[in-house]
Formats: sequence, C-alpha cells, structure tokens
Amino acid sequence: MLDAFSRAVVSADSKTACIGGDELQSLKNFISEGNKRLDAVNTIASNASCIVSDAVAGMICENQGLIQAGGNCYPNRRMAACLRDGEIVLRYITYALLSGDASVLEDRCLNGLKETYTALGVPLQSTGRAVGIMKASSLAHINNTNSEEYGGKRFRKMEMKDGDCSAITSEAASYFDRVISALS
Amino acid sequence: MKSVVTTVVTSADAAGRFPSSSDLESVQGSLQRAAARMEAAEKLASNIDNVAQEAYDACIKKYSYLNNEGEANSTDTFKSKCLRDIKHYMRLVNYCLVVGGTGPLDEWGIAGQREVYRSLNLPTAPYVEALSFARNRGCAPRDMSSQALVEYNSLLDYIINSFS
Repeated sequence: MLDAFSRAVVSADSKTACIGGDELQSLKNFISEGNKRLDAVNTIASNASCIVSDAVAGMICENQGLIQAGGNCYPNRRMAACLRDGEIVLRYITYALLSGDASVLEDRCLNGLKETYTALGVPLQSTGRAVGIMKASSLAHINNTNSEEYGGKRFRKMEMKDGDCSAITSEAASYFDRVISALS
Repeated sequence: MKSVVTTVVTSADAAGRFPSSSDLESVQGSLQRAAARMEAAEKLASNIDNVAQEAYDACIKKYSYLNNEGEANSTDTFKSKCLRDIKHYMRLVNYCLVVGGTGPLDEWGIAGQREVYRSLNLPTAPYVEALSFARNRGCAPRDMSSQALVEYNSLLDYIINSFS
C-alpha cells in the first residue's frame, strides 16, 4: 500500500532520481491542504451509513425489479449484502482519499471485484449506479452544498470552515470514477 | 511502504471501520511535522552531488590506503562506484525524508547490505566515515533550519548504526 509520499518515492526510485522541485512542491501542497483532506474524510465517514442507504434506496427506486421476487435485492438477506458492500466500497474510498493514492482501493477492493460480482450474478450496472449516487452525495458533503431539498428529514450540514475545495473534490470524484469504471 | 498514513489505514482496515477521529488526529500530527522534513529533502536534492562528493573525498582522505593497488578505490571504475554508493545512500535519505519513515532505507539500502559488502570484500569503515562526515558537515541555519537538520542527521545516524 502506498500513500502520496511513498508513491513519489517509488516513481523517483525507478528513475534513480532525487525528489526535488516540482514533485516536492505538489507534496508541500498536500501538506498545506491537509486539513481539507481530513475534513473531507471526516464528513464522509461521519455520514457513511446515510450515504450508503440513500444510494441503495435510490438505485432501487430507479429499478423496482430489484426488490421483486427474483430481483437481486429481494429477500432482506440480499438487500443486507448490498448495503454491506456499499459500505465497504465507500470505506476503501475514504482510505484512498486519506492516503492521497488509489493503491489501497485498487489492491484491497477493486482487484477481482468485477469477476466476483459476475460470478455471483450481481448486476454491475445497478452497482455502478449506486456508486454514482454515493459519489454525488459524498461530493455534496465535502463541499457542504447538500441541501434540505435532497436531504429531507435527514438533512445535515457539517460544521466546517468554508474554502476552495475544488482540488480535493475532484480527487475524491476520481476515486469514485475508478470504482465505476472497474465495474463496467 | 510504511508511513503514518499507511499504518493508520492498515489498522482501520483490519478492524473494518471508517477512519476514526483518532486516526485523522494522528495523520494530522504527521502532516504538521512534515514541513521540516520537506525542507531538508529539498535542500539535499538540490545539492546532492556536492554532499556526496565531499563525503567521498573525506573518507578517501582518511583511508588513503584504499587507493593502493588492488584496494577498493584503486581504479577509475572503482572510484566512480564508491562515489555512486555514497550518492545512493544520500538519495535514500532524501526518500526517507519525504516519506517520513525509514522505509526506503530499510527496503532498498539496509536489507542485504551486510551480505553484499561481505561478498564483494568491501570495508564498511569508510562508509561510516563518509556518512559521519556528511552528518557533521551539515550546519543550521547555513544549510537548512535546525529542525530540518535534526531530521536529516537522525537518518544519517540510522545508516551509520546499520553498519555496526
């Protein structure tokens, strides 16, 4: 498993070069923007069960066949497995976001996931859709742009200092996209 | 590779939980200390050729017998390889400063070190001399801030200890 720093070291070592200049500058940015990263991880982790259940419910709303007899979320047992998997995927995304590198997500979560789902008959498109909803709501939480209109009774705004979070948002989005593309 | 972040993630993963506030707390702690390490890494990277050359010169000066026929520093090829070795260690120090742990040195420098130097019949005392020269040569605030120098010196001490 690598983080942003060890990733820089591994790539510099393959060129037998020292780490200086531009690479070091991007790591310094990582350090100075560190609090945004920690806030982003915290806001996803704190709202995880909400994000996950909302995504699975949304996926089912769009495709009611999933909860009819023969659907993949039909008895509670399979619905529970679905919720659990959503939470696992989101958890690995928070790890990747915390370390600033996708290796933990790739190695421990995505490697072989598609093959497993295919073998178990899990519909990949629906899974991708659920991850897409998790992405939308996680990014809204990171930017604190979630609204009462979407949140309804469960609407919650985190106490965070406002600032420019575009970099960390696009980084988080890239991890969700990685999951979606690994499943398609 | 081992660092504060990967350690935190590994233990959270083993327990199957999201990063907790104490996890985030320890990551933040390491980020706060990182500025000095980055400074040292930057200064070392920009001057690594000179640092390695001076350290090499110092150890050859002390152990001048190495220039004799059949010794480790006798031919031009040997000389350039000796200098390259010192530079490798300096580069690994640079990596360790960036990562914030001794992972790169452990994995790429120290593992198998004893076996290699024994089988090539190389003396280790000159390496110790070169590295301790580099350690004593660093000076705050001329070269870097004192906190950065502490981080840099402690890694050099770490390699020196690995030779004994």
